Amino acid sequence: MTISAQIPPRTEFTRRRLGDEAFITLLVVLAAVALFLTASLLVPNFFQLQNMINLVTNNWAVISLGVGVTFLLVSGNFDLSVGGVVALSGVLSVWFAQSAGGANALSTGLGMPYFLAIACALLGAMAIGGLNALFVVRFGVPSIIVTLGTMMVARGIAQVITHGSQRNTNLPEEFGVLGNLYMFGTSVKLPVVLMILLILIAVFIEKKTVFGRKTYWIGANAVAATLSGIDRAKHITYLYLFSSAIAGVVGILLASEFKSGFSNRGMLMEFDALVIALLGGVAIAGGFGSVVGMFFGAIILAVVTSAATGLVLSPDWQFTLKAIAVFLAIVVQTWALARRNR
Amino acid sequence: MDREQQTPVLSVVGLTKDYPGVRAVDDVTFSIEAGSVHCLVGENGAGKSTLVKMLTGALQPTSGSMKVRGQPFFPANPQEARDGGIATLFQEMHVVDELTVMENLTLGMERSRFGFLVKSDLDDRVVRTLNAIEPSIDATARVSSLSVAQKQIVEIARAASSGASVIIMDEPTAALSEREVERLFGVIRRLRESDVTVIYISHKLDEIFQLGDAVTVLRDGRHIATAPLSEIADRSDLIRMMIGRNVFQTYEPRKTATGETVLEARSLANHLLDDVSFDIKRGEIVGFYGLVGAGKTEIARALFGADKASGSITFKGNPVGHSPRQAIEAGIALVPEERRTQGLFTNLSIRENIPVMNLRKLSDKGVYRSSEELAAANEYVGKLSIATDSIDKHTEKLSGGNQQKVVFAKCLFADADLLLLDEPTRGVDVGAKMEIYNIIKNMADTGKSVAVFSSELEEVLGICDRIFLLYSGALIEEMANGPEVDIAHILNVVTGGGEGAVQ
Amino acid sequence: MSQPTAISQGPTDRNGRIARFLRDYYIYFVFVAVIAVLSVANLDQFTLFERGNFLNKYNIINILRVSAPLITLAGAFTLLMVSGYIDLSVGSAMSLSAVVYALLAINGVPFLPAFVATVAVGVVLGTINGFLVVRLKITPVIATLITLSLYKGIALLLVQDGVSAIKSGGGLKMPAWFNDYGREGVLLSLPMAFWVAILVTLVLIIVQKRTLIGKYAAATGGNPTAAKLSGIKTGKIVWVLYGIVGVTAALAGIARSSFMSLGDPLSGDGMELTVILVVLLGGTAFSGGEGRVSKSFVAALIIMSLTVGMLTLVPAYYQTLVIGSALLLAAASNHIVSKKGKSS
Repeated sequence: MTISAQIPPRTEFTRRRLGDEAFITLLVVLAAVALFLTASLLVPNFFQLQNMINLVTNNWAVISLGVGVTFLLVSGNFDLSVGGVVALSGVLSVWFAQSAGGANALSTGLGMPYFLAIACALLGAMAIGGLNALFVVRFGVPSIIVTLGTMMVARGIAQVITHGSQRNTNLPEEFGVLGNLYMFGTSVKLPVVLMILLILIAVFIEKKTVFGRKTYWIGANAVAATLSGIDRAKHITYLYLFSSAIAGVVGILLASEFKSGFSNRGMLMEFDALVIALLGGVAIAGGFGSVVGMFFGAIILAVVTSAATGLVLSPDWQFTLKAIAVFLAIVVQTWALARRNR
Repeated sequence: MDREQQTPVLSVVGLTKDYPGVRAVDDVTFSIEAGSVHCLVGENGAGKSTLVKMLTGALQPTSGSMKVRGQPFFPANPQEARDGGIATLFQEMHVVDELTVMENLTLGMERSRFGFLVKSDLDDRVVRTLNAIEPSIDATARVSSLSVAQKQIVEIARAASSGASVIIMDEPTAALSEREVERLFGVIRRLRESDVTVIYISHKLDEIFQLGDAVTVLRDGRHIATAPLSEIADRSDLIRMMIGRNVFQTYEPRKTATGETVLEARSLANHLLDDVSFDIKRGEIVGFYGLVGAGKTEIARALFGADKASGSITFKGNPVGHSPRQAIEAGIALVPEERRTQGLFTNLSIRENIPVMNLRKLSDKGVYRSSEELAAANEYVGKLSIATDSIDKHTEKLSGGNQQKVVFAKCLFADADLLLLDEPTRGVDVGAKMEIYNIIKNMADTGKSVAVFSSELEEVLGICDRIFLLYSGALIEEMANGPEVDIAHILNVVTGGGEGAVQ
Repeated sequence: MSQPTAISQGPTDRNGRIARFLRDYYIYFVFVAVIAVLSVANLDQFTLFERGNFLNKYNIINILRVSAPLITLAGAFTLLMVSGYIDLSVGSAMSLSAVVYALLAINGVPFLPAFVATVAVGVVLGTINGFLVVRLKITPVIATLITLSLYKGIALLLVQDGVSAIKSGGGLKMPAWFNDYGREGVLLSLPMAFWVAILVTLVLIIVQKRTLIGKYAAATGGNPTAAKLSGIKTGKIVWVLYGIVGVTAALAGIARSSFMSLGDPLSGDGMELTVILVVLLGGTAFSGGEGRVSKSFVAALIIMSLTVGMLTLVPAYYQTLVIGSALLLAAASNHIVSKKGKSS
């Protein structure tokens, strides 16, 4: 007796036209467009091509960080260390590249060739990612605590190297090139192009590769993922290294742009990266969310904050606006998914 | 003690519970005498747990009524049920490890003044109850320092001292050693003497004959019988009522010639296993039978590399047992014990669940081919006749049997040559159970090997060619299945009565 | 009937007992060790306060004075974490309270009404957290990150543009009494703020040991299902605990504001990390159930002694690194120890 003898196998099943995730991403995109149009009505000179471009280009750093943070959130883990890593890698790149004999402690570096300096700075950044992975995966400490700790460690090292301020003297000529390189004769700088490339690669990894899929499975059910042959420890380690490497590159580019290593750079960037991911519909419980959503979450935040500035609200409004935006995003998402899956 | 009470302590009349598309409990009527141990038996999915949930207020009946001591009883939540005199002992422990025994006993019943805890007669009463039930437990000890059995007794004491007239115990011996079971039975008998009624749910029929005064049998949500146990002739009588047929005859020796040995396990040992060695051959279905806690899950997980064990495991000549990943690559797949927490991605769709164990098949140099995922999902949903209207349905919305079929689909998609099935039909309805047995047999017929780890003897005797009997982490005996198997002998071995049993 | 011989006993072997002893008392040894090390360390650069030894009277008074906000917060935060929840907004709530208090004072509200009003603000802030977590069921980490941003934003908005904090100037003058609460010695040369912190700690020790809230907090964090089945309204308990944390955040804000004589909207920045560090160091389990207010108190003293003591040994810019490393170490060791204690 076989089963197929009892019930004729069906070969095709109806499919839902739109998955939950695509649905939420679509909501985020619509919200971003609606907010942009509303802001255009309220704020003079808002509806301009240059302004639209600025919304993206001004936020290249946070959006780039958001990619790593999004992948980690989807896997069910926080990364709040990225802001600290931005400071650390920037300061390291400056310190390594400063020539050896300076007038005082803050103008004396290790005198490495520039490309060796940034390579080493990147390694330093990834060491923080390794530390995150070690504590989260090996010791099983909650990621929120670990990455808050490593955020302080990274920034703390940057503060020690800069004595709590900054290093900006005695740098080689080529140090300022990368961060200020205009691409193809436009006003768009190299970091923005790199961010766009990063997004494209990230979307490809997320949607089209086994690595991307594994991230979702781990986030949805870590135990089942392990029992299904996914090496969770290795995967989470890669994700933390990936995230800290992005933060490292961001830090190096910012240091190059400003020709300085400043220990307070990237302050609160970890928070903004988390905010745009949440605005983009990434679920904190893991297993849900997308890089595209995060990108439009960043647009939402950018529209809201720049419209607020346009409406001559004081910059102090930004914290309140972020709080309200994230709150609304979470409530709306929960409500929309509950309604849809009723 | 007056045993001739007029009104039964608990009675249910026409109790029915409907779920969308399923009638889990269908017009059940019976009553329970005060001061008795009343057993509730039935196969998995017979409606026992739904019935219990209605009694404890976790679910509300669709229709029908319940009465406690003649008074209408409609608990809206567990708290109301407890106030009405019905307390429940769940399979999971519901004690707070961080508090003391005393604090646990009074939890939720404390006397207080302006929010401050005050001493009261309650404290003395719970200690008296505990001492009456089990004097060896120190009321001031932290619960985290107690054994599982002791924690359970703390729960019973709590139920008893809350003034419950009925205590429901759902598989209370699942995690206990034999000596602890004896002690628990002592506790239950003392409760009965103090006129507390115990509703005892267990799959272990011996316990029922040993302990029970009366039994209610459920099958497919319907009430089959309520009778004093003295009127039940023997186990097979009870089993016949439970399943409506004589199970032990379903095993048909399969004609597939078993081939060469594919898996060799030698001297497996860890904190739960004790020097376990065995072989599994190509094309055979082997069963590992033992009570809960005998080491079945531990062996399955050790073979799969999910837990560490010393000793050696070779599969087709290659060492395995290092990690699940290695096992899957070698051709071993596991259907884990806990479907929802270990087997399924409940927030993901059927389509997304199926491919996870064999990503190589769906990918090319790390690039994932979604079209093949879709094809695979369609294929397996059809093959295993998973009842769903869409392959994009979240697996949490499926019934237990269909969920389990999705887990099977995962393993089948992995193209494994050895399947480890840990409690493959737990929480699965009878129809799906038969289908799952057919899937298992078909796999073995196509030359794959299957190891079934089960605490249901009917299951093991029904499908396995060879059976390993386990007791307390040790493999006691190996036997071939067939019409002449001695069930009494098997039960004797797995309860610790076998020769050479490790004490 | 069988006689009552022991069933299989729990972990009472020697290793288990030693582990438990370490878990129960290690914090006191750490405290003594830290004080000892700081006392014998060569304090060459000890110029911040009076020259001399660490156990100098003025140094002790100073440490205890600046410890007031942290001590105030640590106890309530411990109870919240025992119940399995967390509040990342305490720093912002503290900043906002500091600003509100300073604002009231500078506008002529007398001490007591200003004090009471600020505490009331703290209750509201805690209640909002409770609402998000309990009623709207938003994950505690995210909910309190939202309010972290919100409270900080409001604090910044309450301070005029172009000014960094509420302080004398622009026609308004901070009243003379403003400083007294945080600085003026009232008993043993220690200010009111410190004694309030001690009072709060004592009250919370009693709450933990002797009241329903304390017991139910442990039950909620230890085994939420058991707590619910026992009829405990866990949501209500958690809500109340968030409220208590809000009150202590307000008290901490008042203490800080009075000590610094200004309402600084950034004065509580990073406080949540220090409090988490203290609570973890005190042995509170991140997963809930386990933890003592009294131990967190000792841990707070350790951290403040270290922070102040360190200032005399290394430049201030080492502080972030040291606190971050300590947080990692505390979290890892806490986790490992509590795991061992449970599974053995």
